[in-house]
Amino acid sequence: MSITQILFWILSIMAILGALMVVVSKSPVYSVLWLIMVFFAISGHYILLNAQFLAIVNLIVYAGAIMVLFLFVIMLMNLNADTEPQKNKWLKIAGVIAGGALLLVFVGALKNADLKSQIAEVNHGDIGLIHNLGLALFNDYVIPFEISSVLFLSAMVGAVVIGKKE
Amino acid sequence: MNSIIFSAIWGIVMMFSGLFSKSKRSLQTFAVVGLILLLVVNTLELNGDHFFNIDLHNMLYFAPFGLLSNSIAFASTLIFFLLSSTDIFETGHNAAEYFALIFFVLCGISIVTSFNTLLMLFLGIEIISIPLYILTGAAKKDLKSNEASLKYFLMGAFSTGLMLLGIAFLYGATPNGSFMLDDIAVGRTAASPLYMIGLLLLLVSMSFKVSAAPFHFWTPDVYDGAPTVFTSFMATIVKTGVFIGFIRLFGDAFGQMQSRWQLFVAIIIASTLFIGNITAVFQQSVKRMLAYSSIAQAGFMLFALLALNNFAKEGIILYAAAYNLATIGIFAVLGKMKDYSFEGFNGLAKSYPGIALVTTIFLLSLAGIPLTAGFFAKYYMLAAALETGNFLWLVIFAVACAAISVYYYFRIIQAMYFKTGEPQQLKVGIGFQYALFAVAVIVIVLGIFPQWLINELYVIYV
Repeated sequence: MSITQILFWILSIMAILGALMVVVSKSPVYSVLWLIMVFFAISGHYILLNAQFLAIVNLIVYAGAIMVLFLFVIMLMNLNADTEPQKNKWLKIAGVIAGGALLLVFVGALKNADLKSQIAEVNHGDIGLIHNLGLALFNDYVIPFEISSVLFLSAMVGAVVIGKKE
Repeated sequence: MNSIIFSAIWGIVMMFSGLFSKSKRSLQTFAVVGLILLLVVNTLELNGDHFFNIDLHNMLYFAPFGLLSNSIAFASTLIFFLLSSTDIFETGHNAAEYFALIFFVLCGISIVTSFNTLLMLFLGIEIISIPLYILTGAAKKDLKSNEASLKYFLMGAFSTGLMLLGIAFLYGATPNGSFMLDDIAVGRTAASPLYMIGLLLLLVSMSFKVSAAPFHFWTPDVYDGAPTVFTSFMATIVKTGVFIGFIRLFGDAFGQMQSRWQLFVAIIIASTLFIGNITAVFQQSVKRMLAYSSIAQAGFMLFALLALNNFAKEGIILYAAAYNLATIGIFAVLGKMKDYSFEGFNGLAKSYPGIALVTTIFLLSLAGIPLTAGFFAKYYMLAAALETGNFLWLVIFAVACAAISVYYYFRIIQAMYFKTGEPQQLKVGIGFQYALFAVAVIVIVLGIFPQWLINELYVIYV
């Protein structure tokens, strides 16, 4: 087993464990902290795929900015384990069954996928390097890139409209 | 490309016009001018005049079908502005921004009708959705509006997540990894499970966006909570725009394996028609009833997806036009009212005979009574399904559901004409009434000569 594989397994276990703990944790603050671990593990996966830029952006945007926002919201609203509403038992069971069925379907689909060998370009993949990413973004994908500006503009207009004092 | 660029630019123009001009009149004029401009550039593009020669990398594909549905969306928005822009001013103090957001939504619709890669579909759907979340919450003091906005945002974000997951699966299932519709369509004779999951997730998320059952649970609350003007916009122009994207996606990417997913769509149609119509019967508020009726109408529009033949493509354009006009008209009348219950319509025919008459025409069109546009729209949908030859049971079921729908549409007509009551005072100007009459005339003309619009289609296709 090479070092990459060992790292992959460690990171995967970290990610799955963290994701489970996000759901299971009673206190929302703990959930957020576990979520940060998930993001770190996923960033580790990006590095294994030789996508350093994505790894760093993932850390800065998600683990950095968005998680801090989450924590702020949770703390400002003073949410803790006591304020969490009691959910119906049957609702929980239904949720578990539905989610489990979806998981089963996903696993079945991925198990039969005929491209297992080429799924990951470990070590030699180079699309995640900032040079190649920039070339792809501003050549092949320049149209979606430009059009997404409309999306961000409308989101900004919306933030101002909602946040402005009347 | 013309309409995408111009609508984005005009959105920015509207945004800044709020800075320089405080007068409502000039804002409305600006918006109307912008829409006429959009209609003109879109028609020019239909005739082959492309203003912008951009290397699109094949990511957008401007077919007459998409461009024509753009025209329907722009024309409907023009009518919507003429009828309802006073209500937009009453919703809040940020009218210029609301107009800007509506233009951004139109930009999104132009993308969704012309995408050629799943990436653009996603961007288009998001450009449509995000302004809508804001417009839903435009009445900031109204708790129902706030709730609707948050609900819509959470559910919409979740369904977008499902859509992205589906796109990721499809990317993995294509041989070299591609978002292009052509690559997804070609060479998939033996569809892998990965591919089918992607297809299914896209079906689910698009059904959510057009509020088809069983993914419709957000619709009544959001349509009911949102300010009435924006409900009108959401339920008509946006819904039919997304429908065109839905049909383009399944026609272009998954058309060859139609037999694999046709039954799923049939089940979705049956449940949409059933839930929409039956629940609408029990509503006490006209606004909420119209929300359920829009679910039921979505069931009819889904027939175009089921059939995917030429009949269906003509029919969906006609349906979009008929449904948009009638629903915008009813919502425009409703927006002038204080009381949204059925009792609020009591005795309306005595005090406002003209408005009661046009409302009746719109309701008849929605119910699909002959001589109105709605009849031929429904006829085309059912004929398209019959042409496939497999779905006679569904067509019979749909006709039965249409019969149920007559009940709740006629409840309003009955209240207006046959019940006595203290009629409400409507704040309607003479211009509003003329505009409403014009819309009613179009509904009837489309009902008597649907061939006019269809012929336009043939001229373009052939």
